[in-house]
Amino acid sequence: MKTIQTKLLAIFLNVTLGIFSLSCIFPLVWMFYSSLKQKRDFNANIMGLPKNPSFENYVRILTNADYRIFESVLNSIRTTVLSIVLIIFLGFIVGYILSRVRFRGNRILYVMFLMGLLIPIHSLLVPIYVVFRATNLGNKWFTLIIPYVAFGLPIAIFLVEGYVKSIPVSLEEAANIDGSSFTSTLFRIILPICKPILVTIGIIQTFATWNEFSFALVLIRDQRLQTVPLAMTQFTGQFSSDYTKIMAAMLITMSPIIVFYFVFSKQIIKGMVAGAIKG
Amino acid sequence: MLNSIRPKNRVIFAYLLIPVAIYVFAVFVPLVTAGYYSFFEWQGGPNKSFIGIENFKTLMNDEIFWMSFQHNIFLVVACIIGQIGLALLFVLMINSRLVKFKSIHRTFGFFPSTIAAVAIGFIWTMVFDYRRGILNWILELIGQQEHTKVWLNEPDLVMLLIAIPLIWQFIGYFMIILLSAISSIDKSIIEVSEIDGANAIQRAIYIIIPLIKNTLLVCVTLCVAGNMKAFDHIFVMTTGGPGNASMVMALYGYKVSFMQQNMGYGSAISIGIFVLSLLVIGVFQLGTKLLSSDKEVV
Repeated sequence: MKTIQTKLLAIFLNVTLGIFSLSCIFPLVWMFYSSLKQKRDFNANIMGLPKNPSFENYVRILTNADYRIFESVLNSIRTTVLSIVLIIFLGFIVGYILSRVRFRGNRILYVMFLMGLLIPIHSLLVPIYVVFRATNLGNKWFTLIIPYVAFGLPIAIFLVEGYVKSIPVSLEEAANIDGSSFTSTLFRIILPICKPILVTIGIIQTFATWNEFSFALVLIRDQRLQTVPLAMTQFTGQFSSDYTKIMAAMLITMSPIIVFYFVFSKQIIKGMVAGAIKG
Repeated sequence: MLNSIRPKNRVIFAYLLIPVAIYVFAVFVPLVTAGYYSFFEWQGGPNKSFIGIENFKTLMNDEIFWMSFQHNIFLVVACIIGQIGLALLFVLMINSRLVKFKSIHRTFGFFPSTIAAVAIGFIWTMVFDYRRGILNWILELIGQQEHTKVWLNEPDLVMLLIAIPLIWQFIGYFMIILLSAISSIDKSIIEVSEIDGANAIQRAIYIIIPLIKNTLLVCVTLCVAGNMKAFDHIFVMTTGGPGNASMVMALYGYKVSFMQQNMGYGSAISIGIFVLSLLVIGVFQLGTKLLSSDKEVV
């Protein structure tokens, strides 16, 4: 009796979780096999497997320069990489200084960056457009890097600040006695120690930056400068509701981040959680 | 830190200059700008006229804005119940010895939260699509043709339908956070309770949930902040429609500013969003503080 109950329970648990996991991955699978169909095939049966699978949609999208698929992927990669490097580099410096160096204004800066964690940044959507237009910084290749770095800095600074506190000061004192300057201690001794937390920051911010949409929407007008999420919103219009083609385009633009996720999923999951809890 | 290794002031200044400048420029300057322009009637062009607090008076009586605010609150509540509730349920299930493929559940479950909200919005538009939607396809499959409809055109249903992708996307994210909290619970506590004869449900209610309460409260905070800024996937799925039935604050501010070219009022809305979001987040933070502090006493 007991074993039958346990068996039923095991089936129930596994099936429920299985359905959930499947629902998370199925859209991707569905988009992939549908993108191998032609429009007519898809409209006849939206769920069926392709009868004559072909990469025609992909070829047509990639060979037509008007869609600017490659450009938007490159824009996203450039924006993301530069933002991440700056967030890590600047966040590390500020976090370290705020944690270790006493100077007038230290607390003020600390509170100022702390506020960055609380300020609802989506309320900046309209005013940031006004500011960037007035200063003529909008709609440039580097435009988005500015807000992305600014929005990423507070969390980076606090993760670094907390981490540096756990490093014994005697390390820096010893380096100083050996004749190491502030700058060389900072980069040659502290930086390597902070590597785990900097990787965490990089992971969190990679996804935040790559996926960011609303600020790109208001700050970028030129189609040649658009990032991936911006390009995605235009597929529906560009491909006149040819859904299989839209899915192919989506998958092409999503591919870098999907590959990144499935290759590093263990580290990514760990990093995102660590960031969320400490943040 | 010893004074001997403290760097000179100009070294500190040089290091801090760029990050502080970027931060102030992208966060504080826009805030001040919004405050300034909210007192003007301004179409975004060279002409603007000072109208005092007229914009804020309009805002106070703007039914669409307050409805948007209610929609934000609805999303917050729906996601606290749906996301954290389901995540907790799944996590308790996943911890059972009977469950197989745990790491696959983790990897797959977490996957949607790494995808752009824009793509999530598109996928769910396909689910709710009238002629080629998965939902209607399923209804036809089980012989319920009469219930098929243009789902996202139903004003009464649209908020619920909008909440589903939002909930679904981040269940895995909260699952992982809760899993890491549970794994840090001392195993012997759970073993002892098993020996004492507590069943799985009793263990969950009386032991696991109280022990991960603080993590649950962190999840609530994340949920609140995340949903006050809902924008992307609603922009893709309905752009706030039908009518304004799925409008949220950030989207309304965007529409007033960029579609109606009413930048002065748009700035006032931005200030409104700022204050309301801060207020809601503050209230929830205070609530979580109260709840988590009484735990430490026990």
